[in-house]
Amino acid sequence: MVSTRKWSQPLLSILTYVLVLVMIFPVIWMVITGFKQEADAYTAVPSLIFQPTLTQFQIALNGGFVAYLFNSVVASLVSTAIAMVLGIPAAYCMVFQMRKKGSNDMLFFVLSTRFMPFAAILVPLYVIVSRLNLLDNLFTLILVYTAMNLPLIIWMARSYFLDLPKEVLEGAWLDGCNTLRTIVNIVVPMAAPGLTAAALLAIIFAWNDFFFAVTLTYTQAPTLPIMVAVFSSNQDLFLAKVSALATAIIIVPIILGIYAQRHLVRGLTGGALK
Amino acid sequence: MSRTSSAMRQGRQILNGVSPHTRADTTPPAISVRRRVTWLHIPALVFMIIMTQVPFVLALWFSLHSWNLLQPAEGFVFVGLSNYINEFVVDPNFWPVIGHTAELIFGAIALALIAGTILALLLNRPIWGRNVLRGVATVPFLVTPSVMALVWKNLMLSPNFGIIDWALHSLGLPTIAWFSSIPLESITFIVAWEWTPFVMLVLLAGLQSIPNEVIEAATVDGANPFTTFWYIVFPMLRRAYEVALLFGTIFIFQTFGEIYLTTSGGPGFATNTLPYYTYQTAFNSWQIGQAAALGVIGVIIAILAARAMLHFTADHTPEERG
Repeated sequence: MVSTRKWSQPLLSILTYVLVLVMIFPVIWMVITGFKQEADAYTAVPSLIFQPTLTQFQIALNGGFVAYLFNSVVASLVSTAIAMVLGIPAAYCMVFQMRKKGSNDMLFFVLSTRFMPFAAILVPLYVIVSRLNLLDNLFTLILVYTAMNLPLIIWMARSYFLDLPKEVLEGAWLDGCNTLRTIVNIVVPMAAPGLTAAALLAIIFAWNDFFFAVTLTYTQAPTLPIMVAVFSSNQDLFLAKVSALATAIIIVPIILGIYAQRHLVRGLTGGALK
Repeated sequence: MSRTSSAMRQGRQILNGVSPHTRADTTPPAISVRRRVTWLHIPALVFMIIMTQVPFVLALWFSLHSWNLLQPAEGFVFVGLSNYINEFVVDPNFWPVIGHTAELIFGAIALALIAGTILALLLNRPIWGRNVLRGVATVPFLVTPSVMALVWKNLMLSPNFGIIDWALHSLGLPTIAWFSSIPLESITFIVAWEWTPFVMLVLLAGLQSIPNEVIEAATVDGANPFTTFWYIVFPMLRRAYEVALLFGTIFIFQTFGEIYLTTSGGPGFATNTLPYYTYQTAFNSWQIGQAAALGVIGVIIAILAARAMLHFTADHTPEERG
């Protein structure tokens, strides 16, 4: 047994490195392609030796990148901010004020809204939004992303609030802190790492959304994922351009996601696992 | 085996100890003093009702009507349940679409569970740069799905310029016209690639709560790695697997951008899943009533699936039904 372990351990380590490399190979290959000329991207034999160029990034930048970027940034940041403002007090209330049954009912409702297939509410949402003349309006996207991320914020905040030492909170109440001050001065700072992770995850989800962006705000308020779709359908030779653009877009969720990595599982599974 | 079983018992206690649900149930009594103001959840609740429940009720209402935006003259006519009957009985695409949906969901989650298990077990070992490797392995899950679908289609699986086809060709194997000959399988593969890190992360979280002594005891008792995994690790990861299955299934059901940007539901209806078919009915043929009915059917399927899975889970953890 011991002898088999000796040779199998390094082998397993090598296998690990290889598999992780295979997993992210599409991303690596995309980043490499983004630094190519179109001609180098369209070779029958994939080229690894080429003159790197920033041309494709410039083309993407000149293709209206800033306008799309603005929409993406505003939609994801503002929706996350609103979701935090609505979600943190709700989670506080669920953990520290509501009775157990009410709190569980609320949690079930929150989970069920996140599980509802988006396609089901798309049709009526589209009708409402078009009646209100809010189609192709960034405001619509902000509201939809807020609704999409509010459950995530509530269940993550709830699971972090449950971990807070109760003594500190009781001290604050005894000192006569009102609810607002307790939340702002005590609960939020103490749960700050978890809440930051929740916000980052919400930003990633809004940033990565394609479904609502393509159906509700395609023409006047398109976000970056839409730009990639447009880029890949308009151009004759587009591999390198699209790769450069895609690279610029995915940097954001990768950085935020790796930063929030420890909290990803809790965030995605409603606190069912940590 | 006695050491194994005692260590397992210990491990199970530790697992139960960190369960968030037992924690949630033990609200300290002192807190009841503060139960006066309980309206703080109202703004969030109202917002969610307006954004999700009101549209859903409207969807129910629309689904009982015939409403085609391309024929405004026909108007908004009450037709009872005929939109539903039309789907179940008349529409030749409906059942194939349900089949594609099931194939995509179960195919992708099965692949992700297998690959995620392998990655989680490998990354749970002591290895140089483990945290970096874990971070890197998470990347497919973080990157914008619609963007990566385009990358897969044009850079990886393109019959002319795709690197995978080049590799196949170099090895003397026939290249495959991925998105025209096996479109649904190709999309399933991409979706599985995206969700593998999710399964991996959930399983890693589960693996962390298995004490090393359990594995060591098993090894001392002469269990080989496979028996150790099958008889000891796997049962202790049961909850992690259930969570991965439940959440993975529900989120994969939402798959849209990957289909839109690779095959647009085609060729024919080959890659139309229920959400995509709902979208097409609404925004290509503008049959709002019919699309609303499809949306409602989607919600019913999601509820039934979640219930079935929760029931399956609840058999072993009754306290969590709350």
